[in-house]
Amino acid sequence: MADLVTITVDGVAMQGKAGEVLIKVAEDNGNFIPRFCWHPRMKPVGMCRMCLVEVVGPRGRMLVPSCTTTINEGMEVDTQSAVVKKAQEGVLEYLLINHPLDCPVCDKGGECPLQDHTVAYGPGESRFVEEKRHFEKPIPISELVLLDRERCILCARCTRFSDEISGDPLIEFKDRGNAVQVITFPGEPFSSYFSGNTVQICPVGALTAKPYRFKARPWDLEAVESVSMVDSIGSKVSVQSSQNEVVRIDGIDNDATNHGWLSDKDRFVFESIHSADRITTPLIKEEGQFREATWGEALDLVAERLTSFPGAQVAGLGGANSTNEEAYTFGKFLRTIVVTPHIDAQLDDGLDPQFLVGVTPRAAIPDLETAKTILLWAADLKEEYPVLYLRVRRAAAELGANLIVVHPRATGLDDVATHKVRYRPGTGPEVLRELTGDDADYTEIREALAAGPVVGIVGRTGLGEDPRLAEAVAAFVRDFSEGKIMPLARRGNVVGALDMGLAPTLLPGRVSESAAHDVLESEWGPLPEGLGRNATSILEGLRDGELRALIMLGTDPVRDHAEPELAAAGLDGAEFVVAMDQFITDSVAAADVVFPVAGFAEVEGTVTNIEGRVQKVNRLVPSPGQTRATWSVLDDLARRMDGNLGATAAAAIAKEITGVAPAYHGVTWDALDWGDGREGLLLPLAEGVQHLEYIPVDGQLASVDARYGLHLGRVLYDDGVRVRMSPSLAALRPEGAVFLNAAALDALGLAPGSPAVVEGASGRVELPVAVDNSLGDGTVYVPANLESTRSLGAAVAVTVSPGGDA
Amino acid sequence: MKPATLSEAEMDAISDWSESSQQLVRELLGKYPDKRSAVMPLLYVSMIENGYVTAEGMKSVAVLTGLTGAQVQSVASFYSMYKREELGKYLVSVCTSISCFLLGADDVLAAIEDETGVPDGETGHDGTFTVEHVECNGACGGAPVVLVNYEMVEGVTAEKARELVKWLRDGGPDVVGTEEMQQLFGGAKSFDWAVREPEGAVLPVPAFAPYGSARGVK
Repeated sequence: MADLVTITVDGVAMQGKAGEVLIKVAEDNGNFIPRFCWHPRMKPVGMCRMCLVEVVGPRGRMLVPSCTTTINEGMEVDTQSAVVKKAQEGVLEYLLINHPLDCPVCDKGGECPLQDHTVAYGPGESRFVEEKRHFEKPIPISELVLLDRERCILCARCTRFSDEISGDPLIEFKDRGNAVQVITFPGEPFSSYFSGNTVQICPVGALTAKPYRFKARPWDLEAVESVSMVDSIGSKVSVQSSQNEVVRIDGIDNDATNHGWLSDKDRFVFESIHSADRITTPLIKEEGQFREATWGEALDLVAERLTSFPGAQVAGLGGANSTNEEAYTFGKFLRTIVVTPHIDAQLDDGLDPQFLVGVTPRAAIPDLETAKTILLWAADLKEEYPVLYLRVRRAAAELGANLIVVHPRATGLDDVATHKVRYRPGTGPEVLRELTGDDADYTEIREALAAGPVVGIVGRTGLGEDPRLAEAVAAFVRDFSEGKIMPLARRGNVVGALDMGLAPTLLPGRVSESAAHDVLESEWGPLPEGLGRNATSILEGLRDGELRALIMLGTDPVRDHAEPELAAAGLDGAEFVVAMDQFITDSVAAADVVFPVAGFAEVEGTVTNIEGRVQKVNRLVPSPGQTRATWSVLDDLARRMDGNLGATAAAAIAKEITGVAPAYHGVTWDALDWGDGREGLLLPLAEGVQHLEYIPVDGQLASVDARYGLHLGRVLYDDGVRVRMSPSLAALRPEGAVFLNAAALDALGLAPGSPAVVEGASGRVELPVAVDNSLGDGTVYVPANLESTRSLGAAVAVTVSPGGDA
Repeated sequence: MKPATLSEAEMDAISDWSESSQQLVRELLGKYPDKRSAVMPLLYVSMIENGYVTAEGMKSVAVLTGLTGAQVQSVASFYSMYKREELGKYLVSVCTSISCFLLGADDVLAAIEDETGVPDGETGHDGTFTVEHVECNGACGGAPVVLVNYEMVEGVTAEKARELVKWLRDGGPDVVGTEEMQQLFGGAKSFDWAVREPEGAVLPVPAFAPYGSARGVK
């Protein structure tokens, strides 16, 4: 480390990296300098003047803001002198001139930097006796966030966040001068997917979030560290409760994943935990109606019915929203107690399971910090992986990486992309061949890709896209110098579930079924022979009577599967369906027996994110009613079926995983809770073994030829059950529509708002049309998984025609 | 600099603007490597179109510069010459900084308020006059200074100011020019301005090239 600089702060010598600012170096070395506007993840502005310190310079001692002063060799700093104290008192007296001091009724009171700094560094009294500024308060600046301009101390943290970090500067200063305030533009609310972050970083109570307002006092809160299970990025969170009710989720700064930021979905989805619609007792269906049952009754019934089928006629779906321990127990139950190979955690909306867990070389999120070029050929990150969106945005906008976005329509990252390629869904393979070949249109992109390190973020751009295209793109990226691949799939713990063997081709610990069958039999006992079916094949089997019973764990194929009609027919055709879930979803409604299970913040365990980073989720509140942990339900069920899973506690299961799953050797809760795994452990560890090294191949897919190619892309607030059960988020779901470009609208003789019919092989919808000129000729975009759009299904080739009476 | 070519969305945003303003937009956007740099001159063009900075005007500028409405509003609300309320036909600005003050600017302002019936900082009911006091206009040698739609008159007395108001009210000229007003109502001038501005002004928008508000007047 040649670029270390030594400085002296209050007589103590300390070292920092050249170019770092004084306030950070001092804090890293244990000397906290008070601040309001400075935030370690944003550029310094030096606005609040709270961090003034004295620096000894060539012309004597001088007051400087430590957040805008970079360190120099031999710099002498005094943070405690009488001059500094006087400056701090002056700044605080000044900041409090217009502050209402309504701390007793302010949500921030008790955890408020302004309050704390005033006690620690303030003058004690104010000389200001005049009238303070008055504003209407509080005013809603979006559906989720309220603004109290009287409390605001104008540090610009919120406005800088929305400009620098999230790229949607919908709030700004207005009337700079004596009347200055932070405000939105009329008719343009602060409807950012990241608005909750501004509430978290506000150093006063000026910004408050609706779901938490007046719910608790900070000193009453209990909190645990955990990991957001909304998407598969593994954002570190602090889950906070009051009186056994989760009332708030805040981001925790984690270098590896989220930098402290969260999407509003991560942040406010906790409302669903305490929804009145939670299932709290076991349910048994009689004559088409659910009735409440006791656990003993329900377990006996399920054990008896499951035993009555040959194992190979039973299938299991789900587990991608469960912890690793739950997923492992589910897989072990299916493979050793039921003895069936038909297991799938995905619903054919992700990628090939072997590719997803075993691709090499695999990119980690921090690789984005050093990447020269990022090829993003996946979903619109802003809609599906918002925290990853922030990291890619930072790489492109702040760190200067080339960003190449290939997508059927405009994405949230287009404004920072160096190259954009738009294509009609179905023609992806053709585009890839032109890219890999010598097509003159893509010369610049090929030159950009020649500059390594390259990170290829690959996934399905929409639900209809062939997953093998992502693999072909990965094969392309793999050939570049220092090319690494980040495959994306969406569900909270999908990688963990696959790592636990919840796929027909995988067994626990990143091993393929065929390679590890015999090894695992020595641990688990006899396993079913042969490869099982995947989700679509399971549903087809149930529909056609080849399979007879189904066990679902936290999955909703009727809403989530690309072919909703097939899913409904499958559930309908099954003789016996068991669901372990928190809500009666459309799929759970088709079950014969429902077990209520505990969910996020109610269970302890581990999850594995998209990079293969294992982190710990923790329990904070009791689960409602008679709900039980998934593993304990399965353990009881196994005993009733004359088996034994040995699932006595989540911690015990975790120990078993460490022993049985090769890639999880060395992953212990101790390391995750207290050791060097606090920021997550990236698999495989030194003592771990990743047997499966999946080399992606270009399968030379054929393009789908059709007049219209359907892009069925997900939106952040869709009709997923957790969003529907979180009132604040449910209100933000968009209306369904059919998007076409203006020329296509003209050609069809449609006016915006008039009905259009989109019809494909697996369904149809009739919805109002809207204009999206980012769509190319022949591309039709329909948001996926909304109440109004889910009947469409995910065919690529569709027809579009005027609807209504026309 | 080559005038910029506007995208469809950008053209949509200013489709109701006059041909000459649209041309001005193209020229201005062509001048800057980063189009957000054009936000200030474009706000003046929006004032030429709407008479003052309207919400719609800010929105159009936001589309043209790739900024959000909030960012444009932040700029527009900082500078006092971006008027965000409807003005009278004539914006009468009286300098009350030190030189003009010492030579009787307060009397001039009082005379104008009295003659127009419009208090400082407000607009009359009939929409003829807006009266305001302003800081130094850089013509201290010719104090006191009055501006009508940013066209300057130097060496104004209280009586001359009343005559100026009457002349504007009775004559109602569409275009006001500094040279004519100086001759009729002015006194001592600071010096001969090197740049002549014969074009005049029709709106309270500064009349320095190329944003002269009389430019688009037929």
